[in-house]
Amino acid sequence: MPGIDAEIKELIATIIEKDASQIDPEARFIEDLGVDSMMALEFLAAIEKKYKIVIPEERLPEFITLNATIKISKEYLDNKK
Amino acid sequence: MFKDKVAIVTGGSRGIGRQISLMLAKNGADVAFTYLANKDAAEEVTLEIKKSGRRALAMQVDTRDFDKAKEFIDRTKQEFGKLDILVNNAGITKDKALMMMTKDDWLSVIDTNLNGIFNLTRNAIVTFLKQKSGDIVNITSITGMIGMARQTNYAASKAGIIGFTKALAKEVAPYNIRVNAVAPGFIGTDMVAGLKEEYKKVLAENIPLGRFGVPSEVANAVKFLLSDEARFITGQVLVVDGGLSLK
Repeated sequence: MPGIDAEIKELIATIIEKDASQIDPEARFIEDLGVDSMMALEFLAAIEKKYKIVIPEERLPEFITLNATIKISKEYLDNKK
Repeated sequence: MFKDKVAIVTGGSRGIGRQISLMLAKNGADVAFTYLANKDAAEEVTLEIKKSGRRALAMQVDTRDFDKAKEFIDRTKQEFGKLDILVNNAGITKDKALMMMTKDDWLSVIDTNLNGIFNLTRNAIVTFLKQKSGDIVNITSITGMIGMARQTNYAASKAGIIGFTKALAKEVAPYNIRVNAVAPGFIGTDMVAGLKEEYKKVLAENIPLGRFGVPSEVANAVKFLLSDEARFITGQVLVVDGGLSLK
């Protein structure tokens, strides 16, 4: 899935109002990037909308870093195929 | 008032919960409610809701069970297509002097009354957050505010509900979700039916309005808090006790 990583990175950068280049994929959203914990829901909703997938809300607590978010999203994108 | 909204009421087959379920249906909402054991009572409420021309869903759920609470919320969304209102009403009492209270008396009341609210609300909140709307009313008790002898377990659970209500109200206000509580005093339901007549008489004499309340008087307070009339009210506890808790 080329481009997915960059797309999700861009999506999250827009939501947290940062430049995508400023986001270290392993940086923790809350502790390192100062993101409000409620933003995880915004990420989930935006990803669901963009890719027309449903990510179970039980996965929300796993939205800790960009890489984790991409990994979870890909699981559901793979299921969609 | 609640036309085409979908509401959930826990402990909806009897007492205050029954009245809240019927009030919601009468005002246009489809109602899904839980009951613990009394299937006949649940069927009667289902029938009454349908008589109001609304859809009803009754499910046996022990609110202590997180997974069952999730199943109930999922089924409601599946059958009715959405979720707008949550009324956390289910509660039990096991009144005893603390020195006579067993660990089970303590845990079962906390588990049903307080953890039950977590179980239902936790499973509903993401839906509300995503749609950026939703109204929650939790039924607490004046016992949680002023205390009553032989109710340490119940009072602790109900005080916990007030803290939960205020904290969640602040947390989800940016998402257009309101969270309030109603604190009934003595209401003529099965819950107080077990009290001795003599004791009930003494209690009523201490209520400034001179009587126990009726379930519909609590349901009316819930109606107000859920309505658009209360759209600027969140994190509040509305006391419905005939003045009993007045100092």
